[in-house]
Amino acid sequence: MTISQRPAFWGKIIALIAAVFSATALLAKPASEESDHCYIEGLSDRLRCGYIIVNENPNEPNGQKINIHYAVIPAVKNIYPNQAFLAIAGGPGQSAIDNAPLFNNTFARIRETRDILLIDQRGTGRSNILKCPEDKSVSPLLMNEGNFDTIAETNKCLAAIDGDVTQYTSTAALKDFEAVRISLGYDKLHIYGISYGTRMAQLYMREYAEAIATVTLDGVVPMQQSVLAIGLAIDRAVDLLISECENLSRCQQQFPSLRKALATTEVELMLSPVKAQIFHPMTGQPTEFLLTHDKFLSVIRLALYSPTTRVLLPYAIHQAGEKNYQAVLGLYSLTMEGIDIAMGMHASVVCSEDIHRLSTDLSTELETSYMGRTMFTELSKVCSVWPSTKVDETFSAPISNNIPTLLLSGELDPATPPDWAILAMADMKNATHLVAPHAAHGVAMQSCANRLVAQLVDEGSTAELDGDCLKEERPRGFYLNANGVDIFTPPIEPPLQTNSEEQL
Amino acid sequence: MNSRFLSLLRKELIDAIRDKRSVMAGLYYAIFVPLLMAGMMMLLIDKLTSPEDLNITINNSSAAADLVAYLDNQGIRHSNDKATTKAIEITIGAAYAEQMHRAEPAEVILIADRSEENLQSAIRRTERTLQRYSAEMASLRLIARGINPKIMNSLNVKMQDQATTESKGGQLIAMIILFMLLSVFVSGMNLAIDTSAGERERNSLALLLSHPISLRQLVLSKVCAVSIFGMLGLFLVLLVSKFVYPFVPWQELGFNVDININFMMAAFIAGVFVAFLAASMQLFVSFMAKSFKEAQTYITFVMFVPMMLSYAVTFDLATDELRWAPVTGQLQALIDVMKGKEIPLLQLAVSCLSTLLISIALVLGMERLLKSEKIVFGL
Amino acid sequence: MISVSNLSKKIGDVQALDNLSFDAEDGQITGLLGPNGAGKTTCLRTIFGLLKADQGIATINNIDVAIKPVAAKQQLGLFPDPFGIYERLTPREYIRYFAELSGLSRAAALEATNRVIDDLQLADIADRRCKGFSQGQRMKTALAQAIVHQPKNIVLDEPTRGLDVMSTRILRDMLRKLKSEGHCILFSSHVMQEVASLCDRVVVMTEGRVVAIGSPQQLCEQTNQTSLEEAFITLIGTDEGIAA
Repeated sequence: MTISQRPAFWGKIIALIAAVFSATALLAKPASEESDHCYIEGLSDRLRCGYIIVNENPNEPNGQKINIHYAVIPAVKNIYPNQAFLAIAGGPGQSAIDNAPLFNNTFARIRETRDILLIDQRGTGRSNILKCPEDKSVSPLLMNEGNFDTIAETNKCLAAIDGDVTQYTSTAALKDFEAVRISLGYDKLHIYGISYGTRMAQLYMREYAEAIATVTLDGVVPMQQSVLAIGLAIDRAVDLLISECENLSRCQQQFPSLRKALATTEVELMLSPVKAQIFHPMTGQPTEFLLTHDKFLSVIRLALYSPTTRVLLPYAIHQAGEKNYQAVLGLYSLTMEGIDIAMGMHASVVCSEDIHRLSTDLSTELETSYMGRTMFTELSKVCSVWPSTKVDETFSAPISNNIPTLLLSGELDPATPPDWAILAMADMKNATHLVAPHAAHGVAMQSCANRLVAQLVDEGSTAELDGDCLKEERPRGFYLNANGVDIFTPPIEPPLQTNSEEQL
Repeated sequence: MNSRFLSLLRKELIDAIRDKRSVMAGLYYAIFVPLLMAGMMMLLIDKLTSPEDLNITINNSSAAADLVAYLDNQGIRHSNDKATTKAIEITIGAAYAEQMHRAEPAEVILIADRSEENLQSAIRRTERTLQRYSAEMASLRLIARGINPKIMNSLNVKMQDQATTESKGGQLIAMIILFMLLSVFVSGMNLAIDTSAGERERNSLALLLSHPISLRQLVLSKVCAVSIFGMLGLFLVLLVSKFVYPFVPWQELGFNVDININFMMAAFIAGVFVAFLAASMQLFVSFMAKSFKEAQTYITFVMFVPMMLSYAVTFDLATDELRWAPVTGQLQALIDVMKGKEIPLLQLAVSCLSTLLISIALVLGMERLLKSEKIVFGL
Repeated sequence: MISVSNLSKKIGDVQALDNLSFDAEDGQITGLLGPNGAGKTTCLRTIFGLLKADQGIATINNIDVAIKPVAAKQQLGLFPDPFGIYERLTPREYIRYFAELSGLSRAAALEATNRVIDDLQLADIADRRCKGFSQGQRMKTALAQAIVHQPKNIVLDEPTRGLDVMSTRILRDMLRKLKSEGHCILFSSHVMQEVASLCDRVVVMTEGRVVAIGSPQQLCEQTNQTSLEEAFITLIGTDEGIAA
């Protein structure tokens, strides 16, 4: 789960989910009714798509109606026609349906015998998306986030949205999910929630326990916690990265003063952004790149979401310390075209459920973190104008029931660290927590944990689950130059052998 | 006319049911073919699907530590245990590290026998994994140079696969249906011989013909009896299949074989035509034969024709043309039903009509045969 | 009444029937006597319409077999040689089956079957499958089949072949009984004694031709011989193919 720093650049700066998630986007053709001929980009299989019609405001039965779209990736051999595997996307604000290829690949084993059900949560994807208009006048390469008027942008966004933004909270969306389940005739759901999706999964456990067979929470956001605590998690992940490099001799050799390089670059950029002559990462056109402190930190944060991009960070930071920003630019290019998050929906959730739930202790702690501080300030501005109904105390109660629950954490996660899962499972009576040592955010996609999820779904119990396969996984090497992880050291020439016979 | 036909038919059926050989022919086929198919499929699935952990031989692995770690995380790892190690060998080139370091293509040699059926999926998986690693490395190289790796995808090909999970079975499903349809031929075969060549050999044919019955009644009663046996065989095959095939983990091959009521009904309707043809064909040939033994030989040859044509269908040869033909037309229609596709009705109608016409011609031919003294007395 | 006139039939190169004519009257037992290969079976098969004559006609109660085969056969019962028993059926099923084929309704066929089983004292074997039956049991079953529908005309092809003394006696008694009931009985044989003791009229044939027709007495007189056997040998000019 990720939270925005600067509202206007939400689409650009924010990544909820790992870089993997951002690879897929765009809409499939809109389903007018239930049809078995819809396709989602990136997935060649034929899906069943459809929607149900619900009241935007459940208390106004005659008011505005909205369509809640779903997609079913049909089971290969439907042995359990009354069950479905419901995958809930993160964000808040991501479309689950757009991520169909990812879920399909990750949970291919589960799909062999069960349908995979994807629902675009209200306000996201195809379900009356709450989008904020993007300011296209400034190139993302050149924008200076410091000049941004958050409140004005938020108002602009509110004006563009047609609908009652107070109705797009997790609790409202939960009723939609349950309605979809009933309309599709599934008796039991196996729920998988990632990132913010874990909150939806936990609410589901709380409200409709009887409809659930198993739950997997991947990258857990505990009910007790405001997502704004994420700021601290980022600092932890950055620290882990640097310590890891310091402890690897080759990395240490290659980048001996990484911590210093990072600190120096931060200070310099904070004082003044750097303008560099570059070639556009996509078009190859010569252009300028304004590297701000915000951009630099967001590049680091987003690269930390996935082990694949994480391995490039020591090199990128080291190069930045040497005033060479190519690698930073490359990483920035991955997200500068925007990330598929419906910012209006994001604000509706955060302003109603998170902004006011930050404990005093945490707020104090956040003050020490640049990222935590910035996020909190910016979101506070957004929520000051964003209409919302704050959730009450009961919302924060930990989940307590018997549903077999698997909690997954990535040790390297810059958003939802393992501690959060421990907090979430405090009162759960049938829960197992597994930590993947080399995974970041989205453990099922980055490790063998998808097999564990399949096992849980298959067995309906956490009893047999062990994290051995997670422990056996091997770390990947850091990029040591622009070309790879392998360092060529010329073989030491063997000392010239003198002919002993001659000596004699 | 009707009552005599019924008497003839009743006797043929009672006689047939008491003939162990005729009944067993049908029963064995119906029970064992689905079981055998299911068993074969399970073995096949075992061979085709690569195990979660794939043990291979990796030489000079120290030169490419990260690649080896990547393969390991994908379940592909080096093993010295000969018993569990597949005959796939990866040799990391001597200059691998240096080439990687300089962004030159780094040499990895993959040694395996691609013609080895058992290894196909394991080889593909190894290649795919290596390619993914290569792509990942390439993407990171571009990022390190400030270039978005997306530019490597110059085309965005959006494949929209029309296949359903049933239709992905392709040849295997065609084969399964072919063997179902063949039950119609096999189940009635023994009875066909027994009631024609056998009847003559036991001297009852002349006695029968000495009675005041018409040849049409006689021939039709025999054709019907044999058809009914064929249909019984088909019914049994369908029934056994319905219970046996669900045990095969088709999903591991990415498709499903679902013997549902719709399919069973369709198979039954299509089967009637095929059974009628099979019965009249087999009877015709057996009447022509001089003895039981000879009839068996001839029938085997006759079975060959629809079998070969049907095989052609399962291997996708001349499928469009064969849609019009008897047997293969019904076979393809059934494959379509199983795959949930639309059935070309005109072709199916022509195919059924031609099946019927050939059967009628054979029935008329048999009437002619039985007028001949040579045939009746085997002169 | 069975009537054959001017029947000629070639099978392959052999002239099996050569202008053959005779009548078999109702209430009489007519024997068709001839050596092996004389054309007896061919003649009987022609009467049943199984073979088509090249020339001449065969009529049953004045119905031409070649023109109205079904109607003609309705009047016939056949005791074939070999019997053509269905080994997997019981005599009861077997007899009833042929009764139905001869035109009886199911109920009538059942009744007639029961009656003929009584008449021939078949009750003890009537519900066993025919497989493994002795020659006598088979004969009885075949005979029952031939007479179950009470045809006016009964044709027997070598009926006593392979039978033991007891079975032969049963058969004879049955034939006499049928004769007394007014049936027309025609049988072929090459056994002198049988013909001598049973037949009212004997048709002696050889090489497809009728050599002589008459009662056994008349034949003896005609040839000036004391026994039918001698008379027969005189008539056909050889004793080849004749059983005493």
